[in-house]
Amino acid sequence: MKQLLHNLGYFFHEAGIIIRMNLLSHLTSFFSMALIFLILAMVLAGWWAGNYVIAAIKNEAEISAYYAEDMSRDAVLRLAEELQKIAGVKEVLLVSAEDAYKRMEEMLGKEARVLTYFDDNPFSPILEIKIDLAAMEQVLQSVQQTDGIEYVRDNREVLDRLRQLAGAVRFLGYLIITAVGISTLVIISHLIRTGIENNREQINTLLLLGAPDSFIAFPFLLTGLLLSAGGGILAAVLAGYALRYLFARVGEPLPFLPLPPLGGLVLKLAVFIILLSALLGLAGSLSGLHTAKSRS
Amino acid sequence: MIAAKNVSLQYPDGTVALKNINLSVKPGELVYITGPSGSGKTSLLKLLMAMEFPTTGTLEIMGRSYGKGQTGPIRQLRRMLGPVFQDFKLIKGRTALENIMLGMRFLDIPASEMKKNATEALARVGLKKKANTPVENLSWGECQRISIARVLARKPLLILADEPTGNLDRENALNILELLVGCKDEQTAVLITTHATHLIPANQNRIIRLKEGVMEEAEA
Ligand SMILES: Nc1ncnc2c1ncn2[C@@H]1O[C@H](COP(=O)(O)OP(=O)(O)OP(=O)(O)O)[C@@H](O)[C@H]1O
Ligand SMILES: [Mg+2]
Repeated sequence: MKQLLHNLGYFFHEAGIIIRMNLLSHLTSFFSMALIFLILAMVLAGWWAGNYVIAAIKNEAEISAYYAEDMSRDAVLRLAEELQKIAGVKEVLLVSAEDAYKRMEEMLGKEARVLTYFDDNPFSPILEIKIDLAAMEQVLQSVQQTDGIEYVRDNREVLDRLRQLAGAVRFLGYLIITAVGISTLVIISHLIRTGIENNREQINTLLLLGAPDSFIAFPFLLTGLLLSAGGGILAAVLAGYALRYLFARVGEPLPFLPLPPLGGLVLKLAVFIILLSALLGLAGSLSGLHTAKSRS
Repeated sequence: MIAAKNVSLQYPDGTVALKNINLSVKPGELVYITGPSGSGKTSLLKLLMAMEFPTTGTLEIMGRSYGKGQTGPIRQLRRMLGPVFQDFKLIKGRTALENIMLGMRFLDIPASEMKKNATEALARVGLKKKANTPVENLSWGECQRISIARVLARKPLLILADEPTGNLDRENALNILELLVGCKDEQTAVLITTHATHLIPANQNRIIRLKEGVMEEAEA
């Protein structure tokens, strides 16, 4: 261990020489790994953001109940009282058509001008019912059966759609993780093997001088690690910029979409990608060393 | 240090390079191995570095014998040795100093002493000003001396120098021999192969003659 530490400078220097000896193929490998890690990062970001959105929507345990628009205000108030009595209902709010319009205006932010295309207020007054998530089913049924309620809208349908989408993204994620894993392993292991073959003479000399395998192998291990983790770092940085751009593009026109905080998402993504790339680099190097050794 | 009993070495292609070698070397001894080209000098050194193994007979180096596949013990043995190769085996693209340090990095030499040892060794072979020159820019004789400096810096227990005077003029050859002989002390033995018998100083050194793999020892 001590030896490893005081030879660290030498090992980095050697790794540099190994990379420079075959600069072009090391560079191409580096950039192709950065690219595949970037693709992985973007899919993961979609996966995680999707999960966040689903969780956020699920927590908004809220249903909207529509009633006949010609109902008198008293009748509506009575209806609200009645709904309040249902077990599992936390709060019932009266949202007038004007309120609904204002809310939409806020949600749309800059894009609110689309609302001016309507001659009349396109919204209906609703009763907004906040409920206990666990009691969703019973509450829905009871509300539907209450006299005066015409139509109930809950967010289950939206949730189901989102879940399907998230499922697809997750599947894509697994597929890409597998692909990234295999290709990184193959690239790194091949690089290490050619590196070792190009350095046969030097390795033989070191063997004759009594160098232990670990000493001989370390610069190669480091090379694989640096290339792969370097690709991972580049991918994480690029993914950070790409996400900032995407969030701005998606978040601005759809301000009501509960996107996860960008900083946290990018950090989590960076840690994951960099760790994964380091791990894959290490594994690829080890496999390259192993096959090179068993061939000689 | 070295105890060979009836050792012979036959290469896989059938060539018998050494026949019935009996040899004992103790710490502090200086032994010259001479003989014409192809007589088995390098083969003997290869046995002593555990690059080859006796076909018959027993060979003990540093108190134990070695067999094919005993990677760990063989590397351990080699870390105690100071080999000077006929073709130097310096590492291209590295400076003289880097080459010398490389021979020490995996030995039990404290980091602080490594550079000091290396610079001292360079000074002893008279190449201090070439410390930062890549070895491919050095002359044959300079490479020869760097490869010896690499050995000196390792402070080995057994120096095995294969033809260290080859291709050198008389003066340089004598300097090299002097350097190697100077490494001999109570713990360190020195083995030198050469066919330049006329360069061997006439004193009480041991001289071993090889002829077609057969050994005869003469006290000089
Ligand atoms: N790897 C090998 N396989 C087969 N035969 C070999 C091998 N190495 C050496 N030999 C043969 O063994 C014999 C002794 O060779 P060796 O290299 O030990 O001679 P040497 O005394 O060192 O010669 P030189 O003075 O030219 O260096 C020679 O006949 C050589 O051809
Ligand atoms: Mg020879």
